[in-house]
Amino acid sequence: MVIKHKNIFKTESAWSNADEKLLCLDTGSWRTERPVVDKEQCNYCGLCALYCPPQCMKDMDDHYEADLAYCKGCGICATECPRKAITMVPEGEFADG
Amino acid sequence: MVEGTKKRNRIFDYFCEGDQFAGGVAWCAGCPLELTARFVPQVLGKNMVFVGTPGCAAPVLHGQNIGAWHKLAYMASVMTGVPSKATGLARYYNRIGQDATVVCFTGDGCATDVGFQPLSGAAERGEKIIYLAYDNEGYMNTGNQRSSATPLGAATTTTPVGKIGRGKPTISKNMPMVMLMHRPAYMATATLSHLEDFAKKLKKAQEKVKEGFVYLHVFAPCPVGWRINSNMSIEVCRTAVRTNYFPLWEAEDGKPGFTVEIANPKPVAELTKLMRKFSHFKEEDMANLQKAVDERYALIKNLCDAYK
Amino acid sequence: MVSAQKGQVRVITGNAVGAYGAMLCRPDVVAAYPITPQSEIAELLSQFKADGVLDAEYVEVEGENSAMNVVLAASVAGARVFTATSSYGLVFMYDALQEASGFRAPVVMVNANRETPGIHCVSSGQQDLISARDTGWVQIIVENDQEILDQIIMAYRLAEDYNILLPIMVNYDGFYLSYLAEAVEIPNIEDVDAFLAPLKQQPERQKLVPGVSIGCGTHGMEMGYVEARYKHCQALERVKNKVDEIDKDFGDYFGRYYGGQIEEYRTDDADIVILASGSATGTVRTVIDTKREQGIKVGLIKLRLFRPFPAERLVEVLKGRKAIGVIDRSLCFGWKYGPMCMELRALSPEIGPTPLLSYIDGLANLDINVPHIERVIDEVSAAAQGKPYQEVTWIPMEE
Repeated sequence: MVIKHKNIFKTESAWSNADEKLLCLDTGSWRTERPVVDKEQCNYCGLCALYCPPQCMKDMDDHYEADLAYCKGCGICATECPRKAITMVPEGEFADG
Repeated sequence: MVEGTKKRNRIFDYFCEGDQFAGGVAWCAGCPLELTARFVPQVLGKNMVFVGTPGCAAPVLHGQNIGAWHKLAYMASVMTGVPSKATGLARYYNRIGQDATVVCFTGDGCATDVGFQPLSGAAERGEKIIYLAYDNEGYMNTGNQRSSATPLGAATTTTPVGKIGRGKPTISKNMPMVMLMHRPAYMATATLSHLEDFAKKLKKAQEKVKEGFVYLHVFAPCPVGWRINSNMSIEVCRTAVRTNYFPLWEAEDGKPGFTVEIANPKPVAELTKLMRKFSHFKEEDMANLQKAVDERYALIKNLCDAYK
Repeated sequence: MVSAQKGQVRVITGNAVGAYGAMLCRPDVVAAYPITPQSEIAELLSQFKADGVLDAEYVEVEGENSAMNVVLAASVAGARVFTATSSYGLVFMYDALQEASGFRAPVVMVNANRETPGIHCVSSGQQDLISARDTGWVQIIVENDQEILDQIIMAYRLAEDYNILLPIMVNYDGFYLSYLAEAVEIPNIEDVDAFLAPLKQQPERQKLVPGVSIGCGTHGMEMGYVEARYKHCQALERVKNKVDEIDKDFGDYFGRYYGGQIEEYRTDDADIVILASGSATGTVRTVIDTKREQGIKVGLIKLRLFRPFPAERLVEVLKGRKAIGVIDRSLCFGWKYGPMCMELRALSPEIGPTPLLSYIDGLANLDINVPHIERVIDEVSAAAQGKPYQEVTWIPMEE
């Protein structure tokens, strides 16, 4: 028998290794609405970041912004923002959307 | 805004690690389980092992071949073996002096149904492990089938509503109470609307697990299975607390007490209207569910009062 | 390697031997749940722990499934582990058995053979080990109390070998051996340490360590799955020679040899060969001696290694024999032959066209006694002379 297969695992059994490869999905493409943060309204409390399931609200030192590579557009940040500083805007309204 | 008023929420102070997961993972939009999974290691730190099972968490907790979705040490398990595997790990780490927090991370189906026996066994033996059950009230990963945690009257794919069927005919297993009866070192309920409460309980869990078994029951609604708008899942958590549908309480060394008390609880109808799994409810169904919620709350309240 | 010191000779039961065997190998984590006829092991190991003789984490689990899960996880973390079960207990472990082998956890377990569920039966039989045949474990069957002890020690050398890393099930007949007290030489623990010491020279196996970004039990996707299964099967193939090597090392050191994968008895010039396993092989030897006096050239193969199946060594011994009889203490549902006979039939192209007679005997604590074995030898002898024969015989049904 000629074995052409090159080993995927370095181990005998099936182990994953995050140092070798951290998997990642393009979950940003799931989004139909985009959270837009009003910097003036934002008081940097961070509740949007805390409640964000994918933890993708980026700390911009004085306000937060969604990382659009991963934001799934669930809208929790907009719903939970105590100052209503976040608006969910349909992706179609953006040139890059 | 004036700079001086910009102050970050104190919940951030509970974090000792950054997010351990990849940015994009296969959990649905608005999923409180995703928030739970990402929140726990940030509070507990990296020095842990997750033991996970088939369920909503599996596609992300378990890797794919050599690739992983997160940087945590983990062991995959079938649903019948989670607390026992955690026992084996914790016992050996303890023996060799390896500092570690071993965390079982399963859904309610594993905790209340197929994986209940080893959970009860590990709790009775006082194993030094944390068992976290994320409760989405059914088998959400396989497509919304009923579990022992599914509430009275809820429509699932195995308790459907039809000409005769009115959803699940029995009340849910009162799992936190069942676990309290094992007298663990620490037991607590938590949910994602009350993150500081959750963080405090995780910190306490990490301390108390040095003495014995810890059970955490986390209410984690499923936007897809329960048919909730994805932006409303945190609000559902909050309403569950405010209706006493899911009371936030804990028991340290067997002594129960509320961590959040609701002065004027809202009717449970305020919760059920946020989702469609109860949309078939008539007045009588609602009254039955309200009665079940009231009874359960009264039991906890009486217990907590007795220990005051 | 010099020889071991003479050990202490004690008259103890097979179960007690199992507990001594485990204790001598200094396991880190032990988990066990009582079941007839194994319970004495769980009790005795607890007593060893209570007496301070056994320095291990002992988990008194709430069921066998948990016993296997505890030890397999501890093993993945790096522990040396031990558990013991039987029958229904083994069946209750079924999912965890497959995880243990799939995770390549070097678990050592003894299994006191007993009939399995379906028909309630608290008696001896090998149906339990047959039920676990396809779980990817190494399965070894032993004959007497001394061999239980020696095989447990050898099992750790095999399981934890860097080129093997597989769980091992040491099987002995429940009731017959579990409760039978025999004189057993218990080696000194320092000698057992010395025998197991070569494992320390090997590279460390992958271990699950908190804070390290690795995960055990990742999804095997397509070629990842195929590769892991291929490696598992290759490791099982490597077990065969390794069993022979370890048996030689053990014999050289402790003075007791078991033949490795199979033990042959008077096969050199044998026209016919009987294949059997477990405690019944002692009786078979006695009958062979008698038959030899009557001029019948008969020999015995004691099958020690059931998984992986010792195909090469069996072919080597059985090729050219005039007839073969196989005594099975279990059933192969859906085939009329017994399970071990079925396995042997798979080697027919290599062994050649020899009459192969299957005997079902010894179920449910019924003895595989002298008259039964005489009958087997007589019939196999007749078949060797070209006389017509019955392919399958349920001996107790024809009495």
